[in-house]
Amino acid sequence: MEIPYTQLLKITKEYKKNNAGEQYRVSVLSNIIINQIEPFIEYEFQKNGINALITFGNYDNILQDSLENNETDAVLIFWELCNIRDGFQYKANLLSKEEANDTVQKIKSEIDFLIESLSKTKIVIINKFSSLLFNSYFLKKNNYDLICDELNNYLESKILNNFVLIDIDKVIARVSVDRAIELRNFYSSKALYSIDFYKVYSNFIAPIMLSVLGKSKKALILDCDNTIWSGILGEDGKDGISMSSENKKGVVFEEVQTLAKSLARNGIIIGLNSKNNEDDVNSVLRDHKGMVLHESDIVIKKVNWNDKVSNLNEIAKQLNIGKDSIVFLDDSDFEINLVNQYLPEIKTIQVPEHIYQYPQLVRRNFNDFYNIKETKDDLNRIKLYQIESLRVESKSEFGNIEEYLKSLNLEMYVYRNSPDLIDRMAQLTQKTNQFNLTTKRYTVSEIENFVNSSEHLVMAFEVNDRFGGFGVTGLSIVEILGDKAILESFLMSCRVLGRNIEFKFLNEIIIFLGGLGVKNLSAFYNKTFKNNQVSDFYGKAGFKIVNQSEDRIDYVISLDEYEPKILNYINVNYER
Amino acid sequence: MLIMRDKIKNVMALVFEIEPSQIPDSASTSTIDNWDSMNHMNLVVALEEEFNILFSDEEIVEIISLDAVEKSLSSKL
Repeated sequence: MEIPYTQLLKITKEYKKNNAGEQYRVSVLSNIIINQIEPFIEYEFQKNGINALITFGNYDNILQDSLENNETDAVLIFWELCNIRDGFQYKANLLSKEEANDTVQKIKSEIDFLIESLSKTKIVIINKFSSLLFNSYFLKKNNYDLICDELNNYLESKILNNFVLIDIDKVIARVSVDRAIELRNFYSSKALYSIDFYKVYSNFIAPIMLSVLGKSKKALILDCDNTIWSGILGEDGKDGISMSSENKKGVVFEEVQTLAKSLARNGIIIGLNSKNNEDDVNSVLRDHKGMVLHESDIVIKKVNWNDKVSNLNEIAKQLNIGKDSIVFLDDSDFEINLVNQYLPEIKTIQVPEHIYQYPQLVRRNFNDFYNIKETKDDLNRIKLYQIESLRVESKSEFGNIEEYLKSLNLEMYVYRNSPDLIDRMAQLTQKTNQFNLTTKRYTVSEIENFVNSSEHLVMAFEVNDRFGGFGVTGLSIVEILGDKAILESFLMSCRVLGRNIEFKFLNEIIIFLGGLGVKNLSAFYNKTFKNNQVSDFYGKAGFKIVNQSEDRIDYVISLDEYEPKILNYINVNYER
Repeated sequence: MLIMRDKIKNVMALVFEIEPSQIPDSASTSTIDNWDSMNHMNLVVALEEEFNILFSDEEIVEIISLDAVEKSLSSKL
């Protein structure tokens, strides 16, 4: 976040070379020396691909300068209380009631003049008056505070629709008083603010101008598991997830959902992009009592087992919005990095590791959605988008994510009949619902028997990538009868989905069985409510169907005919 | 010593929006057009951040040539 000053100058210079074309003109009027803000405002524009031309009025000449801004796109005004009269931050406190009143009346008429002369300007950004920089130490309100309050009330009551009033105290608070003020330059040359202040301030107000230019974000696309609720729906079940303040884990998710809902109220598109069974998620949206977001708040849903990049592409296409107007929120390193790599124009936000920071992180990004003219139409717009998304026929495109998978440095550790993993393996059979071909549940002692039996092969795997490890997340149990074998269990945690690890694992099992003299391998899929996504897994792996009924498919493959998928980006290790 | 001088020139080039090659060893407020009082403030901030030092009031007034900047910086590092 914190870019050093020289670095910022360098970046801005680079941008300038590349962003030719029309310029957005900003005039800055002030009664202090403010010119140092120039590169910071420029930077905010340039990083959004806009060329800006910043010009400055004369020192302490706001009223005169306000008459000469017909050509400009935006006017930015720093009218500082400390300099409305020379030394006002200390002189204000010795003024008699009459004198104070005279000053206030005088400034009020100047405000009238300013508003009148800028009534035709496209957009005027003006800071509220602030006494904070000089009065933060005082317990009691003094004249300086009172005059400040009165002028602000007046300003607020008088401004026109083309004015945006900035609560500059919020910026000062974010920076801190001591770091926002540049006393050295203030006393020598009336330059009041520090570069730290300019950085934060420019970033704070940029959304106003970006909104005018149609560059605001329009859609917030959310993952589901551990993003809008705590837990994994496919594994923990509808009753096991939580997003309610009645539950310790759910409390932050209720807040995040409410924040998203308030965006929806202001015309922002809320969408879902989640690896889950659509029916399960719909059921939660329909009647989970903790949910704040409901079907009616959600414009578009991509709840399926496709990669999230393809889903985001479809979302942009179906809603007919630019990818650069989408913000995507997800908890997984894998998904966030995938999107960053393939769709860099989409802004991503990752659920923080410390979950208590989550709602505040969402707030920090709220201004991305800033809309200068929020109207009643905004709510209708949600309906329009909903219709639009139904209208456009969706066509799945399979993006080539192989390059990304290569960059992950996937390491797979395979364990055979490992007595150390018995507890974990039993737990996997108990807990895994979605990527589970047969959904056979086993106890610890049953697994122990398999591990010690010469007629069974129990294989498990662990996966690491450059972001970290997932632990033991996959298991297969094979019964071996001479030169025949049968896959009794094949399961994997959904956390490691999307990396083709399941195929690599199957590969390793088959190689090993071949070494044991197995010629034919049978397998079967047992349909449950939750494992629809793997209904064709063995078919994709090259097995042939020998029998098919409504809730079971039987397969077989001759090991001689098995053609392994080439997955060189997964490195296999044995017995870590 | 040369490295220090080049570093200063790079900072100056960024602040004054010119190329480092356009900054002669004899550079001063009277030979560089963009080295006005406003940019002087920016230069001070940039140098302070780049070299992680602070200039005093007196020094800020004195460092109005490349030689003076270099001399002042050398005494601090």
